[in-house]
Amino acid sequence: MTNESDTMSIEDYLAKGGKLSSPENVPVRYRAELMRLMSSFVDSELAGSAGFADAINQAPGIRERIAASRIVLEKAAHAEKVLDLMSDFGTDKAKYNQSHDWSARGPRDTHVDTRRQGGDMRLSVFHYPLSGWADACVMNALMGMATVVQMDEMTGVSYAPLADVIREIAPVEKRHMELGLEGLERLAEGDEGRAAVKEAVAYWYPRVAETFGAAGSDRYDRLAKLGLRHTTNEDLLARWKADADARLAELKLA
Amino acid sequence: MSRFHPLEVTDIHKETRDAVVVTLAPRAEDAAAFDFTQGQYLTFRREFDGEELRRSYSICAGLDEGVLKVGIKRVDGGAFSTWANEELKAGDVLDAMPPMGKFYTPIDPSAAKSYLGFAGGSGITPLLSIIKTVLTREPNSTFTLVYANRQMGSIMFREELEDIKSTYLGRFSLIHILETESQDIDLFTGRIDAEKMDALFRLWIDAESVDTAFICGPEPMMLTIAESLRKHGLSDGQIKFELFASSQPGRAKARAVSKEAASAGNTCEVSVTLDGGTRTFQMPKDGSFILDAALDNKMDAPYACKAGVCSTCRAKVLEGEVEMEANHALEDYEVRAGYVLSCQCIPLSDKVVLSYDE
Repeated sequence: MTNESDTMSIEDYLAKGGKLSSPENVPVRYRAELMRLMSSFVDSELAGSAGFADAINQAPGIRERIAASRIVLEKAAHAEKVLDLMSDFGTDKAKYNQSHDWSARGPRDTHVDTRRQGGDMRLSVFHYPLSGWADACVMNALMGMATVVQMDEMTGVSYAPLADVIREIAPVEKRHMELGLEGLERLAEGDEGRAAVKEAVAYWYPRVAETFGAAGSDRYDRLAKLGLRHTTNEDLLARWKADADARLAELKLA
Repeated sequence: MSRFHPLEVTDIHKETRDAVVVTLAPRAEDAAAFDFTQGQYLTFRREFDGEELRRSYSICAGLDEGVLKVGIKRVDGGAFSTWANEELKAGDVLDAMPPMGKFYTPIDPSAAKSYLGFAGGSGITPLLSIIKTVLTREPNSTFTLVYANRQMGSIMFREELEDIKSTYLGRFSLIHILETESQDIDLFTGRIDAEKMDALFRLWIDAESVDTAFICGPEPMMLTIAESLRKHGLSDGQIKFELFASSQPGRAKARAVSKEAASAGNTCEVSVTLDGGTRTFQMPKDGSFILDAALDNKMDAPYACKAGVCSTCRAKVLEGEVEMEANHALEDYEVRAGYVLSCQCIPLSDKVVLSYDE
C-alpha cells in the first residue's frame, strides 16, 4: 500500500471527499480559501457576541438577562476555538482580536453590500445595529436558524480539525437560536409585543436571507472542488426559509 | 507563533530497507515546547540546493517512553527522506517546530473504549504512538489495528507491534494485510478495497462497538476506508484522519535562489513607515516577506492571518517593485493604487519604500 501509484493529487483526493488534517498537508490555494472561511466565521461570532452585549441590559427579566449573557459569552468562546485553528496557520490571536471594533455597526437603514467590508469579514447582517430587546430576539432567532443550517454544512468541510470544532459547537449555537425563539414566544403573547416582533421580522428576514450568498456563485464552485462546500447557496437558503417560515407561522408571526 | 528549535539526533537505526527511526532530543530550555500528544507530528526544515524544504513526520513514540522518535520512510525522489535515510547520523542537529496535529482523542484513564486503526505503510507512525499511549493510559480500552503493507519485508515496527501484542494480551489485535504476499487467510492478502472492508466487518471487527477509528495512509486507501466506515454506521465525528507524509505538497517557503546570488549581497533596502515613524533596514531578496522582515526589525507592523486573506497587513508601496505571493483580500483597484498585503509581499527591486499609514 505504499507504492508510488497509490498516491493521488490532493485535488483528486479532495474532489473524492478526502479530508485534510493539518496545515502541513494543505495546498496554498486551499489554505487561502479555508482561512477566508474561518475568518468569516470568527468575525461573525465576534461581531455577533459584541453586538448582543447591549441586549443584556435591555432584557426584560432575569431569565432573559442570563440567556443574553450566555449568548455573548459562548459566541466569543466559539470564535476563539476557530481562531485557535487559524493560529496553527500563523495567525496571531491577540492581534486578530484587536484588528476590528467588533461592536461597530453601520446605520440601520443603509443597505450593506454583502461583499466583505474592508478587512472585517463578518457576514453583512452583523453590520446592522440592534434596536431594543424585541429586535435582538428576532435577529437572534432568525440568524440562529441560519447558523444552524450553515453550521450543518460546515460539519462536512474537508479540513477535519474545523469539522471537529464545528461539531462541538453546533449544539450550543442551536441552543442560542432556541433561546431567541423562547424570547419571541413570550413577546408575541401580547398584541403590542406581537406588532413590535412583526416589524423586526420584516426588517431582519431579508437581511438574514442575504447571508446565504448569491445563487450560482463562482465562489461556491471553487469551494466545492476543494471539499469546503457541499450544498449550494440556494439550497441552504431554501432550507432556512422553510424552517424560519414554519416557526414564524407556529408563533403566528408570519 | 511556532518557531524552529534545534533537535539533536541521539540515535538513528534502520527499521526496514527503506525506513529509519530517528530519536531526537531538544535542548533543556526547549524541552517543554516539545511535550507532545500521541499522534502529533514534527515539522523539519532543511536547505537542499538553496531551497528550503519542510517536511512533517509523525512521532512514533508513546507518551510514556520519555523520548521523541520519528519514522522516516524513503520516498522515491524525496529529497528530505532520502537524505534522512542515507546521510543523517547520530550527533547531527535538525531544525524542528514544536509538535502539532490533532490526530488523537483525549485520554481518559477511566474510559473503556474500543479503538480501530488503519495504517498503510509508513502511516503506522502516528498510530503506533496512539496505540502505545492508549494501551498504557486507558487500561480498560482495546485497540484493533489493520495494517496494510506491500510485503512482509516492508512492514515497519513489525517486532515492536508483536511485543505490544504480548504485553497487552487480549487488548490489542493486529491484522496484517499484505498486498503481494499470500497469507493463511485469503482475506488478508491483496489491497484494501470495499469488499475486503465488508468482509473484515462481517468476520473480524464489530463496527457497532467501535468508538473511534483512526486512519493514516495513502489517499486512495483513506477514501476507501472512510467510505466503508460510514457505510457501517460510523459518523464523521468518529473518524480521525491523518494524511500520509509522502503526499505533502512540501510548502517550500523560500523560493529557489542560487547560493551565489544570495551571498553576493543580494539584499533590498526597505523603508517602512508606521504610525508616523519610518525605519529603514536591509532584507534578503530570497523570497522572504516584507512583513516578516519588519517584525524581525522590531516594528509592530499590523497583521493577523499571514495568509493573504484578512488584509490587516495592508500597506502602500511608495517606491520600488514588489511581488505578492497570494492576494485574496485586495480588490483590483486597490492593487492598481499600489496597495499590497505586506505578509505576501516580496521585494524585487533593491530599494522599497512602504507605508502602513496611507
